[in-house]
Amino acid sequence: MQNSSRLALYHYWVAFAVFLPAVVLGAWQMLMRSPLPAPLDDPNAYYTSVTLHGTAMAYVVTTFFAMGFGYAVTATSLGRPVRGMTAAWIGFVICLIGTLMAVVIVLSGRATVLYTFYPPLLASAWYYFGTLLLVGGSMIWVVLMIYNMAAWKRDNPGQPVPLPMFAITATALLWAWTASGVILELLGVILPRALGLTTQIDAGLARTLFSVTLHAIVYFWLMPAYIAFYTLVPQAAGGRLYSDTMGRLTFIMFLVFSLPVGMHHLFADPEHGSGFKFLQSFFTFFVALPTLLTVFSICASLEIAGRVRGGRGLLGWIPALPWKEPMVLAVALSLVMLGFGGFGGLINMSYAMNSMIHNTSWVTAHFHLIFGGAVVIMYFAIAYEMWPRITGKPLRSKALARWQLWLWFWGMMITAIPWHITGLMGEPRRVAIFDYSDPFVARMGPLAIISVIGGLILLVSAILLIVILVRSQLGERQLSTPLRYALAVNPPKHVPASLNGFALWNAILLVLMVAAYGYPIGQFLILKSSVPAYEVTRQITGAGVR
Amino acid sequence: MARDQGALKLDNPWPRIGWASLAGLIVISAVLGFVVLSRYQQNDQALDIWGAMCRGLGVTADRGPAAEPKPPLRTPTQIAWTSSTLDQIAAGNAQRGAFIALNCAACHGESGVSSSSLIPTLAGMDAAAMFKQLDDYRSGKRLWGVMGAMAKALSAQDSADVAAYFAAQAGGLPVLTGNRVPESGRSFRESDPAKRLVFAGDPQRGIPPCSACHGPGGFKIGAPALQGQHAAYIERQLAAFAQGIRQNDIYQQMRAAAKQLTPDEMQALAAFYGTRASTGTAEGLTSR
Repeated sequence: MQNSSRLALYHYWVAFAVFLPAVVLGAWQMLMRSPLPAPLDDPNAYYTSVTLHGTAMAYVVTTFFAMGFGYAVTATSLGRPVRGMTAAWIGFVICLIGTLMAVVIVLSGRATVLYTFYPPLLASAWYYFGTLLLVGGSMIWVVLMIYNMAAWKRDNPGQPVPLPMFAITATALLWAWTASGVILELLGVILPRALGLTTQIDAGLARTLFSVTLHAIVYFWLMPAYIAFYTLVPQAAGGRLYSDTMGRLTFIMFLVFSLPVGMHHLFADPEHGSGFKFLQSFFTFFVALPTLLTVFSICASLEIAGRVRGGRGLLGWIPALPWKEPMVLAVALSLVMLGFGGFGGLINMSYAMNSMIHNTSWVTAHFHLIFGGAVVIMYFAIAYEMWPRITGKPLRSKALARWQLWLWFWGMMITAIPWHITGLMGEPRRVAIFDYSDPFVARMGPLAIISVIGGLILLVSAILLIVILVRSQLGERQLSTPLRYALAVNPPKHVPASLNGFALWNAILLVLMVAAYGYPIGQFLILKSSVPAYEVTRQITGAGVR
Repeated sequence: MARDQGALKLDNPWPRIGWASLAGLIVISAVLGFVVLSRYQQNDQALDIWGAMCRGLGVTADRGPAAEPKPPLRTPTQIAWTSSTLDQIAAGNAQRGAFIALNCAACHGESGVSSSSLIPTLAGMDAAAMFKQLDDYRSGKRLWGVMGAMAKALSAQDSADVAAYFAAQAGGLPVLTGNRVPESGRSFRESDPAKRLVFAGDPQRGIPPCSACHGPGGFKIGAPALQGQHAAYIERQLAAFAQGIRQNDIYQQMRAAAKQLTPDEMQALAAFYGTRASTGTAEGLTSR
């Protein structure tokens, strides 16, 4: 058990060590886009920074956090050490090497292609190798999660797999399916060109393959937050989980529905007809089902906790909740941001409405609220919950943790809400320079400045996070209660085989993926649509070109 | 919700629910995406269901490089002076052409000497020049109702034949030898503005000397010799080039030059080339 804890802790440390500099970059990027003067006023540096910020936040922080969370959940929910520790450490090292490779290449200015790669932009092959190592190394984690769940089921025939373990295995399976897109893109399209084996690059195929990853990866980021919703929040609030079956169904539906929907990122792409764009847009609506189930379950679980604590009347259970617990505060803030971000997302994924806001800062605002807000704030709460159990060193101050969560919430809201408005005004995303003397752009200036203020609040919050974790780490060891997961109101005695494993759902998902992506990807084998690649190398231009 | 153990056996409830929902979802979304959206949201009334589904897949008849639009007057002509074109003109049969020329006699005169000042004399004109104009009339590059209809009735071989016939007729335009005319005042200091334009041009306005292509002296393939042509016809063509009404000059050479000319200059040029011819023989050429 001790070894499993150290494994989880190392993963957490890498995730948060990368997180802080990535937040600094994000804050600087907002300064750069605003009318205010920014240090190092260089557009090339901006795109390098966007690449680093995106790669760090989307691949590194999330993958390491999810892996660490997975090992911790496996050990604690099954009540036995993680099997395959050697493989787990090897996976950790591979991911770390991949991360370092990618970061060094981006910093050297040879991979300014943004984290979604944007072929026919082409970076140094080492950047792609680094990303491949990071994603590939995490596949060891995927195998270990499945192996640990299968081994437990073999040892406990007929017993329901504990919900946390079931959910983290769903996460691992989701990640394997998700990553298949980017792995195929790297191995099949981008790396052959980056290595000079081919002379052209099929941008349409590459973008289609990446779309397999592009949306489901968000659900991979989201899953640890949802696992915390179902298994940690009711416990922290002092109640019980409303329904175990609902939890299982939620994670199954996330697995099935988050994958065949990625083409809603390609609405403006010419390589696909309108039929499949609509089909996947339609599938996307079903992702709302598990989210709504979750919102219902969590509110019901919190109501149970509030009433157990003496809350009376229609809404009296709400003030009765233990708001001093970071986990309870985080879930409320998370659901607010999930609401704002989710409704914005409904517009992104609607085939017709998307054209209003396609590639504007509205999109940036959406995923910052969902991922940077709703998900990451739960990462913080999970860290505050698990850190003391792993190290045996409790947080010095829960009040400081609450401050950190509130600052993050307000920082993200102040950053993202103006982005929505500038997006509707037509401000493009991923652009370094705006000419604020142009009256069309000038209207966005004040909003951009408000976003900068939000960014600075986020930076303060991120620094506070590290301070809290380091203070805990340097503190004295105390006896702490072991991590306990929430029991359901009706704990499951028997669970149908379909809800205790993933064979059926993987088969259904396979059929769904063939239906959704079979033709869109297959058409590229007939239609030759390769174009020359555009190599991104360091361009020497003077600073201050604004 | 009994303890069904086979997650993949269809007689258990969850697999049944799962597969049935999947089938329903795929059918409904396919009907909506490929039939309803593709067919009924397109404004194209002629689109059938099969065409709509293909369009939903991104397969359309207009796939591939967009068809090159063909505005009738964008390229000035379809004639290029390649050796095959020149061979075709050289192969013109004047005897056969005489028969075809019966159609031209009403306007251009029986032997190609026109009696109307607005209709060009053809006798003695270079065959290549006539061949090109006939082709431009045929393809709509040069617009003149009567000639367009006449030219459309002719094949390329017919054009070559009739051009050969008129080129061989005597008594119209003087025969060009390509020799330089010795007198002529080929100088910017020439006092007569028409002569100056014909032999020296006006570099400041980008006007090359007319004689470089149309004689006297110079000669370019496809450019008709102008000595002896009707003055009114020449003046009218200059005006048409200047206003862009006539556009079948390769590289816009005539349009560019004519645009720079004043009406007086056009008249003077037409008079320079035309009046002498109206007396029967060109003065400047009798010395040779």
